[in-house]
Amino acid sequence: MSFLLSCPNCGPRDVNEFAYAGEVTSRPAERPSVRELATYVHFRRNVAGVQQEWWFHRFGCETWFRAERDTRTNAVLATEAAHAEPDGQAAPAEAAVPDVPAV
Amino acid sequence: MSRDFLAVELAPADGFEPRWRSPLERALRDAPPGIRDLSRTGKLHVHGDVGAPPGVEVVRVAPDRALVLCAAADVERVRGELGERVVDMSAALAGLEVRGERLMRRLADLDLDALPAAGAVAHVPATVLRDGDAFRIFFPQEYADHVGAVVLDAAAGLA
Amino acid sequence: MRLPPSPEERIDRSRTVTFFFEGEPIEAYAGDTIGSALFAAGRRVFSRSFKYHRPRGLLCCSGHCPNCLMQVDGAPSVRVCTAPVREGTRVRSQNVLGSLDRDLLAVVDKVGGPFTPVGFYYRTMIRPRRAWPYYERFLRRVAGLGTIDKHARRSSRFDTEHRRAEVLVIGGGPSGLDAARAAARDGRRVVLVDEGLALDAQLPREDGFETIAPARAIGIYEGGLVPVDAGDVLLRFRAERVVVASGAIEQPLLFPGNDLVGVLLPSAVRRLTRLWSLRPGERAVVITADDRGLAAAEDLRRAGTSVARVVDLRTTQPAQMAARGSHGRVRSVSVDGDSVDCDVLVMSGGSQPAYSLLAQAGARVEYDGTRGIFVPRDLPPHVEAVGSAAGEGARGAAAVPAASYRGTESGGRCFVCICEDVTDKDVKRAIAEGFDSIELAKRYTTVTMGPCQGRLCHLPSIRLYARETRAEEATIGTTTARPPWAPVRLGLLAGRGHEPAKRTSLHHRHKELGAQMMWTGEWRRPHSYGDVAAEVRAVHEGVGVIDVSTLGKLLVSGPDAVSFLERLYPNRFGDLKPGRIRYAVLGTDAGRIMDDGTIGRLSERDFYVTTTSTGAETVLAWFEWWNAVWGYDVSVDNVTGALAALNVAGPRSRALLARLTELDVSPDGFGYLDAREARVAGVPCLLLRIGFVGELGYELHFPSPYAEYLWDTLLERGADAGIRPFGLEPQRILRLEKAHVIVGQDTDSESNALDANMSWLVKFDKDDFVGKWALEHVRERGPRERLVGFEMANGTVPPEGGQIVVDGLPAGRVTSARWSDAVGKAIGLAWVPPALADEDSRIEIRVDGRLEPALVRLRPFFDPDDERLRA
Repeated sequence: MSFLLSCPNCGPRDVNEFAYAGEVTSRPAERPSVRELATYVHFRRNVAGVQQEWWFHRFGCETWFRAERDTRTNAVLATEAAHAEPDGQAAPAEAAVPDVPAV
Repeated sequence: MSRDFLAVELAPADGFEPRWRSPLERALRDAPPGIRDLSRTGKLHVHGDVGAPPGVEVVRVAPDRALVLCAAADVERVRGELGERVVDMSAALAGLEVRGERLMRRLADLDLDALPAAGAVAHVPATVLRDGDAFRIFFPQEYADHVGAVVLDAAAGLA
Repeated sequence: MRLPPSPEERIDRSRTVTFFFEGEPIEAYAGDTIGSALFAAGRRVFSRSFKYHRPRGLLCCSGHCPNCLMQVDGAPSVRVCTAPVREGTRVRSQNVLGSLDRDLLAVVDKVGGPFTPVGFYYRTMIRPRRAWPYYERFLRRVAGLGTIDKHARRSSRFDTEHRRAEVLVIGGGPSGLDAARAAARDGRRVVLVDEGLALDAQLPREDGFETIAPARAIGIYEGGLVPVDAGDVLLRFRAERVVVASGAIEQPLLFPGNDLVGVLLPSAVRRLTRLWSLRPGERAVVITADDRGLAAAEDLRRAGTSVARVVDLRTTQPAQMAARGSHGRVRSVSVDGDSVDCDVLVMSGGSQPAYSLLAQAGARVEYDGTRGIFVPRDLPPHVEAVGSAAGEGARGAAAVPAASYRGTESGGRCFVCICEDVTDKDVKRAIAEGFDSIELAKRYTTVTMGPCQGRLCHLPSIRLYARETRAEEATIGTTTARPPWAPVRLGLLAGRGHEPAKRTSLHHRHKELGAQMMWTGEWRRPHSYGDVAAEVRAVHEGVGVIDVSTLGKLLVSGPDAVSFLERLYPNRFGDLKPGRIRYAVLGTDAGRIMDDGTIGRLSERDFYVTTTSTGAETVLAWFEWWNAVWGYDVSVDNVTGALAALNVAGPRSRALLARLTELDVSPDGFGYLDAREARVAGVPCLLLRIGFVGELGYELHFPSPYAEYLWDTLLERGADAGIRPFGLEPQRILRLEKAHVIVGQDTDSESNALDANMSWLVKFDKDDFVGKWALEHVRERGPRERLVGFEMANGTVPPEGGQIVVDGLPAGRVTSARWSDAVGKAIGLAWVPPALADEDSRIEIRVDGRLEPALVRLRPFFDPDDERLRA
């Protein structure tokens, strides 16, 4: 992968400067049923096409933003700084647990 | 409680004389001319709107965040002038200066005509400023040995 | 022998250069290539073929074909036809047993034919299976591409340089130059790279754009990334627009004997005669499908070679064509039974656009039946093709009536692929065997997979394939073009070998003290200083100090700090008083444990959050991520590197600290889980009274530039108390004695706080926190496993990851296990079924295939009532 992503703060950069955090998911506003919870936590649309994604400019401004990317071509159609949705629609997905024992 | 435990510039007190040591001191021991240790530069993270008191440089990293650079002796004063949402990062970031675009291009995939900027240098997150042929690089000090080694090695490759 | 000097020639006859071929000195002129110098010295056989070890000579002189691969200063597979001569260079032949002229392995060509059809090694060398390594070694020996000489004198330094261009032009021929000039006139920042122009003409250094040569684009990747091989530097270009002017590649004809020494492509004639003033031979025949062959005939005549016959395939369409030779060199060619003696045979099957870079970039490749070539179509945005790379002026094999010719009599191999020694018979056989897709046939026959990467065999093989399967070339299509477009040394791709490692400010102190260092994530940390047991003992009996600077440290500040942290963590923080600390576990919405640490409240709106050593960046990103959604008024700063941290632990730690600070360190003044700010040995510190290792202890967090000073001071002032630095291994024993959990070791990606016995910190009465719903679900369904302590009945230390066995079936796993001197037992932590999670439950653990008995323990093994910890 070598496509460019345009960070809303830093401009276009090599994708390797960023951390990818998957599709933008939707966090239930109310206490979900087990099925709704499982859907939110585990299920992804995994489209072959354009999707909304979370990206983090890990080596740069350390800001989260959203990108609209075509998963078939890696064409990034748009990027946009994340804006707060206090009542919670979009939500972070599962984060990787550090794989090395840590103290 | 305050955050005095982040302060780097100390006066001898209580009969103790704390010795400051640069994270790059060892790595740059055999550095050729043109590579300078800037680790003692004052560095502050500022959140929110940032004014620019005299004698400082402001690198706006994001709309609501900036890295402010000043002389080490001015950190306390500048911190006071910048308001509440300020964190002294002087100890967190090591700094060095290199000369030459060619050397810089071997260290980073950054648009050298669009500095200052934050981005990867020697594969670590950094903030880079440019003054003509000189580039100042600030990065997490825990990478000092690594970055020092990469910079010296790259410079040797161009010597 | 050289021709008389000409103004066009590239050699400087006033300067000679001497290099060595097979140890013998060869004199060349400056401007020669190794190939031209060897040719001038009379050498005609330059290599032996891959499989049959047939003699091969110069064919293209353009760096395309495999015929001149040699070892140069220890580097294998150098195309000497384009490698400039340098004083003292040592050149050797490769893939030869004996010499180039007498290669003992040529016996394969004599007898091997029937036994070595395409893919023979898939069929004939598979039994007995254990013999394969020997077969492989044998095959590698007889069919190799040179060997790497580790002791050769050559540059082993490769650098990577990041470059940018608004317009990057690949190829410095007329079209490339025109494109570069035009873009420069438009005021664009233009860079032109060219791989071989230095040979044909001095590349003009023009104003307005930068020229880099010799330099070879090896691929076009996403985002306009074009890595360029510039010798010992990989130029990693990012271009807004890429112009491909890679030209066209002359194509061979397929007829028996088409690989004989003396069979040349027009480019070889042009370069030999014009650049190096060499006469290719005495008597030539030219068979051509385009004007290139006619031009070559002119060049030959001018060089004094008599041209015995010119066959223009556009006007004459022979049914039979074959070259015959002796000792591998062409002696005659017969066309429709009419034999002409010659020592040079020029073949020109048209030219094929060099579209590979374009195809890699995403262009579609389409067969143009009228011209008989493949042309690039539907170029991706920001990539364009100019000149013959785009198909301009290319006249392909349309005029070539037959895909391959037969001779008048049987015999004589007709090569489709000279790199891999694949004949037309091999291709036909593959088709007969059912390899009816070009991609499969490619993998089976290995056509296009050799050093030329299809430059000379792609088009002819597809034409042959089409003819044999009675299909159209257009429907057969092409095989996928993949980088690299040209061979590239692995060292160039690897660059310099630096690994970003994190080191604490005390790294060099640890090394001076003889610490064995180990990796924890990106960090380097002391495993121990040589005596684990003594280090543990020091902490239990006196005082020890461990560098915990690797702990992630975050400052969370702002009016919403409490709300923010309470929504992230299952814990409550609103009731935490300034100057107090709380252990906290960070979870995900799946309810899983992500990280842990201590959170100290510095003031109403300031919190000091520590994370695991490897977790700082993850936790920071996690905080920022959630707040990108929530929008709380908080700021988070990563002060991990700003602060060094030392854990001073042991019964004598208080006394030591008291010598160095004016802070009231009495149990009443500075109690367990208190946080204080004070100077220690003159350094401002945040002191946290916490005890991961289970003894009275203090964590000192302070500006990292003073780490060595404070470390030295502690060791000096604590010497009489027997202070001892301790590493990670002693720390792990000490914490295990207290049954303290290490996230990521004792928990995994499935663990939740309830099963891990941390339900006391989960506040279900909060409105919301990340993971609340999942934990509520866990609470309702009940635990599926529990994290418990265990002690072994007989002192055996089970392996970490070892199985807990119930009724012969695996029912759980050991996550940590150590021998503890203080407890006098082998102890550990394990996940067990809830039914066994009771004090004194008997469990069995598999150790080396045996089942070893152990007892479940729910309380710390050492100091179970925390009397020492809270002292």
